[in-house]
Amino acid sequence: MPPDKGLREMPPAFEAEALASLDGLYRAALRLTRVPADAEDLVQETYLKAFRAAESFEPGTNMRAWLFTILHNTARNRFRDRARDTVAVDSDVVERAAEFPPPGGVVETPETRLLRETLAPDLQVALDELPDAFREAVWLRDVEEFSYAEIAAMLSIPLGTVMSRISRGRRLLFHKLNHLRPVGLAKKHA
Amino acid sequence: MRSCESIDPLVTPYIDRELPDEDYQAVDQHLRACPPCYSRVVAEQAVRDLLRSRQPELNKKEAPPSLHARCAALTIALTADRDRVDVVKPAVSGQVVPLPFPAKAGRPPAGGPLSARPAWTARLAPFALAASLVTVVGGAFVYQATKRSTRIMAAELAADHVKCFAMNAALGTRQTPSAVESTMLSSFDWRMHLPADPSRAGLELIGARPCLYGEGKIAHIMYRHQGRPVSLFMLPDTERAQGLVEALGHEAAIWCVNDRTFVLVSRQPKQDVERLAAFVRSSLH
Repeated sequence: MPPDKGLREMPPAFEAEALASLDGLYRAALRLTRVPADAEDLVQETYLKAFRAAESFEPGTNMRAWLFTILHNTARNRFRDRARDTVAVDSDVVERAAEFPPPGGVVETPETRLLRETLAPDLQVALDELPDAFREAVWLRDVEEFSYAEIAAMLSIPLGTVMSRISRGRRLLFHKLNHLRPVGLAKKHA
Repeated sequence: MRSCESIDPLVTPYIDRELPDEDYQAVDQHLRACPPCYSRVVAEQAVRDLLRSRQPELNKKEAPPSLHARCAALTIALTADRDRVDVVKPAVSGQVVPLPFPAKAGRPPAGGPLSARPAWTARLAPFALAASLVTVVGGAFVYQATKRSTRIMAAELAADHVKCFAMNAALGTRQTPSAVESTMLSSFDWRMHLPADPSRAGLELIGARPCLYGEGKIAHIMYRHQGRPVSLFMLPDTERAQGLVEALGHEAAIWCVNDRTFVLVSRQPKQDVERLAAFVRSSLH
């Protein structure tokens, strides 16, 4: 392919729409790299690749999801290059980390009622503590609102794994958030 | 009634309302009769609802303005350079204009003077000048040069290469070798001599300017080769591995002398770029 061939077939609003996703891509890059300079680098490389591969984008599909997929693929390749697998998602350690006693009770519990009052900073702390694989799946679903299929493409994992990671991630969060809360407060509401 | 094991994989799509009716009802029925599964659903649902209600706060962090500017510049460079931007007259002059996003703003009317060109070129070419002016006048953003990958550095320099030539074409500047040498001395404390007879390598000197890059400035010396732009960048206090990198449709030849990194950028074929780089490297003192 001659360089930049993709641009010749760029639909008119392509660049504008692509640049509109920049903040979300940067947040994702920060979650993946945790270092602002690396995150910026990752986002720029994502745009380079996206504009080069513009012809592979199907108009009418979700461009945000397409860009997120490029970003995640690029990040995975970089981690692989550095022989550093921060997304050690299927290891036993990670799977065991997700095991915890199920919450008791049949109806809505005081914990779930209190959960609604959790503030964003506490929530952010709990999210940051999740293993990468679970955090990314939960974030892509509940904060970015991507479909299971879109997330499967981004993370390059089967649909069933997407769902199980979201499930485990949410339950881990529930567990963490209830531990963040002062014990006395939970008891008082019980 | 289905077993807990068979219900388990359906719980998350149940909460997300992604199940077909039949499965949805099966889960519903199970939950009515199974307290442990029910409480699991309640917990997961509570977290999902919480995350969704906190979306705006969780999404508050924005990319730095410098990154917005660089990505916009990459877009411009990729598109505008395709078709000689240097014939395009500036949309504005002598003032700082907003960066071109969203790119829809200020689009030239269809059928205008640029309509004979491909649509994307007509749309984006004026923005190349706009972005250049921001870079030149404002210094509104600061690049972070440290730890950047060589590929990204080459892409940024290729973008600068395009912008500076567009700017130069608009201003029509042309400098003598001694003017360039004195600029390098005053701006970079760099006592240097340009190649004495650049025409031997088919190079024609256009001029030089300091570009904003990293936390400071880099030197940008502009040439033409067979009528096409060639840039020589000098990055002070930077050490990079030698190599040839392709970026934004340009070739970038990189080499290092002491603590200065040199990058020669052009759209010319690879072997020409290597030849030009070798010439400059041997004749620049």
